[in-house]
Amino acid sequence: MNRSVDPKKVNSELFTLTYGALVVQLLNDLESVEDVNKHLDRMGYNIGVRLVEDFIARSSADKCYDLRETADKLQAAFRMYLGISPSIANWAPAGDEFSLMIDTNPLTEFVELPDTCSNMRYSAILPGMVRGACEMVHLEVSSWFVQDQLRGDPVTELRVKFIKRLEDSVPPGED
Amino acid sequence: MDVNTSKREICVAVIGKENAPLYLLTADPAAELQFHYTVHTALDVVEEKLAATGKTAADSRELYLGALYSTEEHRVFGYATNTKIKFIIVVEAANVSIRDNEIRTMFRRLHAAYTDMVCNPFYLPARPITARAFDRTVRQMVTGAS
Repeated sequence: MNRSVDPKKVNSELFTLTYGALVVQLLNDLESVEDVNKHLDRMGYNIGVRLVEDFIARSSADKCYDLRETADKLQAAFRMYLGISPSIANWAPAGDEFSLMIDTNPLTEFVELPDTCSNMRYSAILPGMVRGACEMVHLEVSSWFVQDQLRGDPVTELRVKFIKRLEDSVPPGED
Repeated sequence: MDVNTSKREICVAVIGKENAPLYLLTADPAAELQFHYTVHTALDVVEEKLAATGKTAADSRELYLGALYSTEEHRVFGYATNTKIKFIIVVEAANVSIRDNEIRTMFRRLHAAYTDMVCNPFYLPARPITARAFDRTVRQMVTGAS
């Protein structure tokens, strides 16, 4: 209950509030929950394509030979940038699909979705980032939320599905 | 809820900066209007107390205002944040077992719950409070505090 002790905690609250202000501002500007979801996803994508560079430089991560290694890398990235360690679970039998289970999502710490926004994917920036980051390392994946604590589910489950390897080494947008 | 708690009327109210009621919860919903009057009356005392402390510039970090007034049925306690949000708690006068310290703790919990609620980006300041988490905390206080 004492709010003035941990300086790290204050930073994370500032981060949470900043993200919240961003989402609400988007909602005010776009006036459509669907558009907000799309926008957040696109912003996440743009962050992801840049952030992966930083991640590789800092973690000196090696090349991944299967999706399990990729999953471990994603987990490490969540720890590095958000300070949370999601667990990896629910592998598809074919091994091309897995979930990151997030039990405390720092983005949603104080958030309560109003009834008018019940189909908003508040943290849609996260799957966007995963997609963007993987694309830069030649993996086409799709990523979406299966469960969300904001909608009353016990955990937040981020699903990641491998689609194909991008053989073409030209970065997107530079043909 | 056992007989004892349902007997004990209690009311928690949050009043905004401009003295508009933001939130009011009573153990007995039928008595809500009556408590609106009680709380409204208490606001005058709150203003008085705040004006008095303002002059002496006493410890501005003491937010608890103590007992505001009592009637035959109720005792009314107040708490004002530095942003001039007022919390009011009404307990039954017959309930003498409740101590100042408990009231203080309740106010502190209420303040913490309020702070978390304000941090919700979807909440617009100075609007009536509809947040479910806040409501849940206050309901716990009203039903479980005895």
